[in-house]
Amino acid sequence: MTDEAEPQDRVWEVFRQEAEGDPMIHGGSVRAPDEDLATHYAREFYGRRQESHRLWVVPRDAIVELDDPDLLKPPFDRSFKRPGGYLIKHKLEAAKARAGAPAAATAEGAEVGE
Amino acid sequence: MSDATTLDPTTREALAELLLALADDEFVLGFWDSEWTGIAPILEEDVAMSSVSQDEIGHAKAWYELLAGLTDDDADRIAFGREPAGYRHAALMNHARTDWAFTVARRYLYEHADAARLESLARSTYAPVAELAAKMRREETYHLLHFDLWLRRLADAGGEARERLVSSLERLWPDAQAVFAPLAGEVILVSTGILPDDLESLRRRWLERVVPVLESLDLPVPAQAERAAPPAGDGRTRRSDDFAWLHSEFTMVARSDQGATW
Repeated sequence: MTDEAEPQDRVWEVFRQEAEGDPMIHGGSVRAPDEDLATHYAREFYGRRQESHRLWVVPRDAIVELDDPDLLKPPFDRSFKRPGGYLIKHKLEAAKARAGAPAAATAEGAEVGE
Repeated sequence: MSDATTLDPTTREALAELLLALADDEFVLGFWDSEWTGIAPILEEDVAMSSVSQDEIGHAKAWYELLAGLTDDDADRIAFGREPAGYRHAALMNHARTDWAFTVARRYLYEHADAARLESLARSTYAPVAELAAKMRREETYHLLHFDLWLRRLADAGGEARERLVSSLERLWPDAQAVFAPLAGEVILVSTGILPDDLESLRRRWLERVVPVLESLDLPVPAQAERAAPPAGDGRTRRSDDFAWLHSEFTMVARSDQGATW
């Protein structure tokens, strides 16, 4: 193997899903000159041990990146935009009781307001 | 036929010969190509080639185990306990790894030959063979895709890559035919349906697959007369110095402590 990449080589980001319905999670990247080899290499790196149900192989240059701190981390206090500021446990329970749901099923939803 | 007890001794012997040929092809090729580990053209291909080679060793293991069950032997003993002259791989696997183009050329010819053979064996009347062949075909799909792609890449690249591919194919064609060299027990294998098609029909099927592709890429194919003639009978018994060297490499550990339990 040589250290210098071929000029036509591209980087591909690989996302994997472990089981049908699971979220696609970024696994890593591979270098390959075209879509076909990128797919083969993604399979070898992220699927050869039967650990993946599905792979997404995306050319890195197709990804739209947003990392502007003015947009993502504005300087003012924005804590009121987080759901943690609201106590909704009782409202949720009341809503579920009205809908006739068993009380045990409310446990997860109730976490939101704590 | 679902197990060995239903086979008469002559059929059993013919089946053993077939299994040994299948296993040795995969075993020796797997070892040659595992030599790319660490030195393949790019890191990604290094991992891919190593993984494909491991697949072949895995297939060899499955065939050796089936054979060991049939002949009351041990798979490791069969794989590592023979002298070079006792191996029955096709002459195609006598050659050293050589360069990347050579490896791609050999793989391309072999993967398609193996595909033609497995397609037939998946219909075998002997259930253990049919089941294994069907499983292997699923894994070989990826091998076919991968080496079809590399053949095209090197052919389209022109220059030195293409030249090396052309000279490798010219060199390998005669020995590639040996994958379909006749077996002593072939008549029995075909009449019992253990091998649903005779090797000569499989060879023709293989040529129908690869010759048009190579011609479309303007790559060498054997002359018509050579394509018409069945391969020589010694296609699986000729051994080379290259193979003698590889044999000394892959038996090194087993020889270091004979009879050890691994």
